[in-house]
Amino acid sequence: MSRSRQIVAGVVAVGGIVIAAGVLHARETHAPLPVSEARLLYLRSGRVADRLFLTFDALASDVYWMRAIQHYGRDRKSPRWEGRFELLDPLLDLTTTLDPHFNIAYRFGAIFLAMDPPNGPGRPDQAIALLEKGLTASPDHWQYAYDIGFVHYWHTGDFAEAAQWFDRASRMPGAPEWVRQVAAVTLVEGGDRAGARRMLSELVDTDEPYIRAAAERSLMQIRALDAIDQLTAVVERYRRETGQAPSGWADLVRARLLAGVPVDGAGTPFTYDAATGVVSIGGGSSLLPLPRGLESTRK
Amino acid sequence: MNVRRIGLVAWHVFKESVRDRLLYAIGAFALLLVASAVLIAQITAGQDVKIIKDLGLAVIEVAGVVMAVVIGVGLVAREIERRSIFALLAKPLPRHEFILGKYLGLVLTVMVNVVGMTMALYLMLGYAWTQMPVEAQLALDAPILDPRLLIVMVMIGAELSLLIAVALFFSTFSSSGLLSMVFTLGLYLTGLLSADLRGFGDVVDAAPAVAWVVQAVGWLVPAFSAFDIKAQVVHGLPLPAGFVTGTLAYAAVYIAAILAGAIALFSRREFK
Amino acid sequence: MTAVRIEGLTKDFLTGFWRPTPKRALDGLSLEIPAGGVFGLLGPNGAGKSTTLKLLLGLLRPTSGRIDLLGRPPGDTAVHQRLGFLPENPTFYDHLTAEELLTYFAGLFGLTGEARRQRAAAVLDRVGLEADRRRPLRGYSKGMIQRVGLAQALVNDPELVILDEPMSGLDPIGRRDVRAMIADLGRDGRTVLFSSHILSDAEELCDEVAVLARGRLVLHGRVADLTSRDVTGWHVVVSGGEADHYRAWAPGTTVQPLAGGRYALDLPADLRPETLVTALPSMGAALESVSPRRASLEDVFVRAVGEPVTPAGTAR
Repeated sequence: MSRSRQIVAGVVAVGGIVIAAGVLHARETHAPLPVSEARLLYLRSGRVADRLFLTFDALASDVYWMRAIQHYGRDRKSPRWEGRFELLDPLLDLTTTLDPHFNIAYRFGAIFLAMDPPNGPGRPDQAIALLEKGLTASPDHWQYAYDIGFVHYWHTGDFAEAAQWFDRASRMPGAPEWVRQVAAVTLVEGGDRAGARRMLSELVDTDEPYIRAAAERSLMQIRALDAIDQLTAVVERYRRETGQAPSGWADLVRARLLAGVPVDGAGTPFTYDAATGVVSIGGGSSLLPLPRGLESTRK
Repeated sequence: MNVRRIGLVAWHVFKESVRDRLLYAIGAFALLLVASAVLIAQITAGQDVKIIKDLGLAVIEVAGVVMAVVIGVGLVAREIERRSIFALLAKPLPRHEFILGKYLGLVLTVMVNVVGMTMALYLMLGYAWTQMPVEAQLALDAPILDPRLLIVMVMIGAELSLLIAVALFFSTFSSSGLLSMVFTLGLYLTGLLSADLRGFGDVVDAAPAVAWVVQAVGWLVPAFSAFDIKAQVVHGLPLPAGFVTGTLAYAAVYIAAILAGAIALFSRREFK
Repeated sequence: MTAVRIEGLTKDFLTGFWRPTPKRALDGLSLEIPAGGVFGLLGPNGAGKSTTLKLLLGLLRPTSGRIDLLGRPPGDTAVHQRLGFLPENPTFYDHLTAEELLTYFAGLFGLTGEARRQRAAAVLDRVGLEADRRRPLRGYSKGMIQRVGLAQALVNDPELVILDEPMSGLDPIGRRDVRAMIADLGRDGRTVLFSSHILSDAEELCDEVAVLARGRLVLHGRVADLTSRDVTGWHVVVSGGEADHYRAWAPGTTVQPLAGGRYALDLPADLRPETLVTALPSMGAALESVSPRRASLEDVFVRAVGEPVTPAGTAR
């Protein structure tokens, strides 16, 4: 074969692979296999999987963990509502059955599961069940107990239960001092933003990027709640001074009560309903929905 | 290009492989596993047919992969190691015909085995049918002797044809059979995970460059996972229109590309 | 007519994995091999013989230089249609029979149907394997494999036959058979090019030889010329006379008594035998025979290469 023909063959090889990728892309766009439960979870039961993967459980758990993240990421971007995030729990269950010490799968998985729609399935019960499974596998892991308390505190608004779990976490080996303070404050005062802020500021210092991101978002939510309170006060002041409610943010800016249209931590403007006088977080904000139980000020 | 010479090389590969004890070992093991699916089905109440199908299809695929890799890698590597290639390349046989003949011969060998194992699977399913009460038959997702299983076989056949091309590609430039086998298996496993690589950017907040590279790899490696419709068919779920043709077109283009690459490299190769 | 023309052929091999350095296996070889007859490519192990043959077949690419094979470049399908090649220590496919292998190869040359089968049978017959042709090659001895190799090199009735160490690994009978076959091929008007480090075979078979050493051509010529150019003395047998007379008459002559009152005399090259023959009657002796003692190819070879190449016993 001559040199020039060899070059042609090489070009055909490289070009062919690129064309093949294009064909694959077209097929996945025009004839996608429905992502059915049966497909992602060819194995429903973690225990069956455990046997099937022989000695490669840890590797298989990594694969399922990747699938869980992808499933979560894809559904969060998708406009589809039906069956949204429905595979998250079984995928996390498989992951943690295959590798019962998969720390981040419990902790981050719980954050996903507890997250309210549209950012998550809004299933604090599943989140707590997953963390309890983690506690069974590693009974000395204080973070799991702490996270259960956090889910109660943040998502179900059951502060008594939350205080109990914080207390339990603080007694476990290796738990830092501040956990005990969190437990005490929660027990005495129930939910308040100061306590939440303290909790979150500890979490923001963690090394786990996923948990840090979640904590930062929660902190932004608290700041948004604070901002709503302040903006409500400003609206009130305008009404007192002018004798009438403002028709929008523009009135407040003109009156030099505000520097500009107020935005939340995610950059979405707050909304003001002139008819009811209620200030709320912008409809498109990524911080929605705000945590239950902390909306009213109890300072 | 002389079709007759390519056919002769292919037929000779088939003859050599069919007489190799290795092939019998793999084939016998696979048949045994397919047959044992019936036994396993008896201890898992109610799910007989699904389990025979699941296990049977998986065994056929895995046996095909083992054949493709072990024989495919040995095909050219052994000729070079044993120096039988010297006499062969002194014949009026251009190197591209040699590669194409080897490829087609191995595809023929593996396909004959897949067809044999498929017939065994249908036999097992037929047997399970006779053992089943009528009401259980009515409750199935998919018919027992589901002709759609043949679509799965076509998909497995396309997947194996692609894998054989990969194995042949590596054995054309590596001087060690073991090394080619490691490369082939590595690329096969990467290909099985390719869908996960393609979705990498959706979920991980990595640096854009990293995400771009990972996704590019996901698109460019042979997507062996794209042929998997086993669960879909076993559960009687519909396949989207154009899925089969799209997948076959993908396999055909990719195989042509890999064989062109193998020919380009093999034509440059020297034999010390 | 020239069958093979080689001009300035050089081949470097890269050795070493991390920092490959070129090692010269063949250095500027120029050679013309005439069509028809037997040509021997000789040299010690590692001289570059196999490298040269592989370059001719396109199994290796030259670093520089030109090769012209039956008027075409090496690796050309049309040329391969007209040549046969026996690799050094050949191996074939364990699971095929000799008949299947030969039928397969005959098919590659474009033979079909009955012609293909007959051709395979004929060459197996020629190498003496007709009885074993239906047995798998796995069970063949080394000598039988060598014969299969020879058969497959002849399956297309080639004009040019290239044989790499055709005699290696054969027992004395096998070697005699192969020698006879090579001689036959040469007589048929084919060009036979074979490499060997066994000189007696070459001396007996070749019309022309080239000697390689360390990748270079050190000697090239017709066997007859190379050997007759160096007459090293005369071998004379006489009857009658006395040993001392002969020694006294010509100093430097060795005298060996033979049975029946005869003597074998070895005269140095500078002493013409005619002078001895005329002196014989005066010594009361008679001439029985006179023959020139020529340098054997081995003598020429050792002188050219500068080192003895064949361990004693393998050459003869």
